[in-house]
Amino acid sequence: MKEMKDLNLPDDVKYTKDHEWAKLSGDIVTIGINDYAQDQLGEIVFVELPEVGDEFDQGDEFGSVESVKAVSEIYLPIAGEIVEINAALEDAPELVNDSCYDTGWLIKLTPSDISQMDTLMDKTAYLDMLKG
Amino acid sequence: MPERINRARRSAVFIDLDLLDYRKALDFQLETLHSKMNQPLLEDRIFFVEHPSVFTLGKRGGLENLGVSRNFLREKNIDLVQTDRGGNITYHGPGQAVLYPIVDLERNRLGVKEYVHGLEEIMKQTALAFNIPADRNPKNHGMWVENAKIGSVGISIKRGISIHGLAMNITPDLEPFSWIHPCGLSDISITSIEKELVKSGSSCGPDTDTLSMDQIKTAFIQHFSTVFDYSIRKKETS
Repeated sequence: MKEMKDLNLPDDVKYTKDHEWAKLSGDIVTIGINDYAQDQLGEIVFVELPEVGDEFDQGDEFGSVESVKAVSEIYLPIAGEIVEINAALEDAPELVNDSCYDTGWLIKLTPSDISQMDTLMDKTAYLDMLKG
Repeated sequence: MPERINRARRSAVFIDLDLLDYRKALDFQLETLHSKMNQPLLEDRIFFVEHPSVFTLGKRGGLENLGVSRNFLREKNIDLVQTDRGGNITYHGPGQAVLYPIVDLERNRLGVKEYVHGLEEIMKQTALAFNIPADRNPKNHGMWVENAKIGSVGISIKRGISIHGLAMNITPDLEPFSWIHPCGLSDISITSIEKELVKSGSSCGPDTDTLSMDQIKTAFIQHFSTVFDYSIRKKETS
């Protein structure tokens, strides 16, 4: 596994304790799993995502990723309605390993309560949590 | 020397379920999972079990790799169970040692990749003790003796807690494996500790007549403890 200092944790996204990230652009929040998650999961071979139009509460399971014979659930950082899923992952799940904040994003949603973004961690708080 | 994942002084309770139906063992796992979700300080538990014959499918299926009809399975009185673990179709039956560690990976700071690697290490060390040269194989996860698979892994992680685990062939009837493409692979064979010992004339290993599940339980506890740095105490089932 990567050393803490080698983790790629951008400053312009928010983090959850479950190692997802969320980024607000206009009215839309893009969500994925972060560098710590993709590294400790190993080579991702399948990504299961919800349907466009599905609605979830904050913290709900919204899909799963399969790597190294392990299926891991993934959880939604904030409540909202799914407006887009990353269809490229169906044929190329490895994008999550290669580029977890860019081409390996998972879903986009319209938040039901944008203030929930404030409940998420910034990079410093997330790193403190990892260090325990 | 077996590989150690890391040192962290963890603890777990080992529970021997003996021969138990797959679905009932799954209920035990899920019950433990939910208890641990509600009480994060609850100790990890490691279930050891042998299942009556059963085929199980991974979350993404594997029915396409079943080479016999469902009627055939019904006639043989063999169940087929959909699961949410990783991997494809597999077979469990008497003579196969199954370990289901219900482990809080998140709390114990164990990565998924290294946890699976560690489960493989437990099987590797167990086989090596019989002088069987088992190892990992780039074809697929699990444990191999050259091109023959001797053990499998498949897990599911919910809220950071892992369920399901590993299955290693000790003395099972290997015929049911020929009814499937295990793990979705078609160009492999399946082996067991017993088969490898017979093949080698067991000249350098223990006599197959004395090969017992108790030996395997002891080996699994010992290697789990070493690989993941756990102190493990046994609990008798009531």
